[in-house]
Amino acid sequence: MKTINIRLKKKLKEVFSTEPNDLGVNFLTIYFKKITAYFKIIPFIYVVPFTFLISIILYFLLGRLLVGLVTILQYGY
Amino acid sequence: MAINLITSLVLVMRNFFLLIFYPYKTMRKIGLEKDYYQLLIISSLVFLYFKFVYFLRDNPYPATLIFLTFVFNFFLTVFFFYFLSKVFEKKLNWKSFVFTFSYSLFPTLIWFLSTSILYILLPPPRTFSLLGKGFSIFFISYSLSLLVWKLILVYLAVRFSSRQTFFRVFYMIILYLIWFIPYSIFLYQFKLFRIPFI
Repeated sequence: MKTINIRLKKKLKEVFSTEPNDLGVNFLTIYFKKITAYFKIIPFIYVVPFTFLISIILYFLLGRLLVGLVTILQYGY
Repeated sequence: MAINLITSLVLVMRNFFLLIFYPYKTMRKIGLEKDYYQLLIISSLVFLYFKFVYFLRDNPYPATLIFLTFVFNFFLTVFFFYFLSKVFEKKLNWKSFVFTFSYSLFPTLIWFLSTSILYILLPPPRTFSLLGKGFSIFFISYSLSLLVWKLILVYLAVRFSSRQTFFRVFYMIILYLIWFIPYSIFLYQFKLFRIPFI
């Protein structure tokens, strides 16, 4: 029981080490919490398809420039 | 010491995977970390990377000099956020900044390492063939994914170390970029980094 108590105290200390986000306006705070929830657990599920879509859009917008950009980035290591 | 080092290595690997799956919870835990061996392991990985690319770069500086420049940049970043956060909150621990920012180096390390390996396997320039365009789309998508992961980790690093709210963290990052972008150009001019390793 004592061990559980110590672990619970430790967990509570960790969780409450930072105060919750408040953006000042109620609806903004609600939407902020809804959106950031996607980034808290396995964000790559949303990030990978999103960035793939962005890359395709960029390809249609920039065309050959995108290929040039990749060449530059490949020298960037 | 060997046992401590192995334990820390296991913890670093565990935290690395947890940062992929549960970045929020993991970064919060890392903010309370006290095991310095973990920092040693992460910095050793970075040093090994610089040693590796030393053989790829033309007209390179010694890997140790590049590493020391990286360490300087790292602490410049850490202390910038630490002292800026001190304005709002007096009771802050600078070690928390060091730990969280060290772990936020993983996306950077993965991107730099994979780009240098791709440089050997598929050396640039990219062509305008179907395969060249396909690879370009894949590479941009891959880089953007890592960039988003990096941004998440940096935001969480500042958030849990400084214990500030979203807007303050956002303004602090903007202030950081105001001086860091010209500083990166300065590093580029001296051929130390083409893309800043941070």
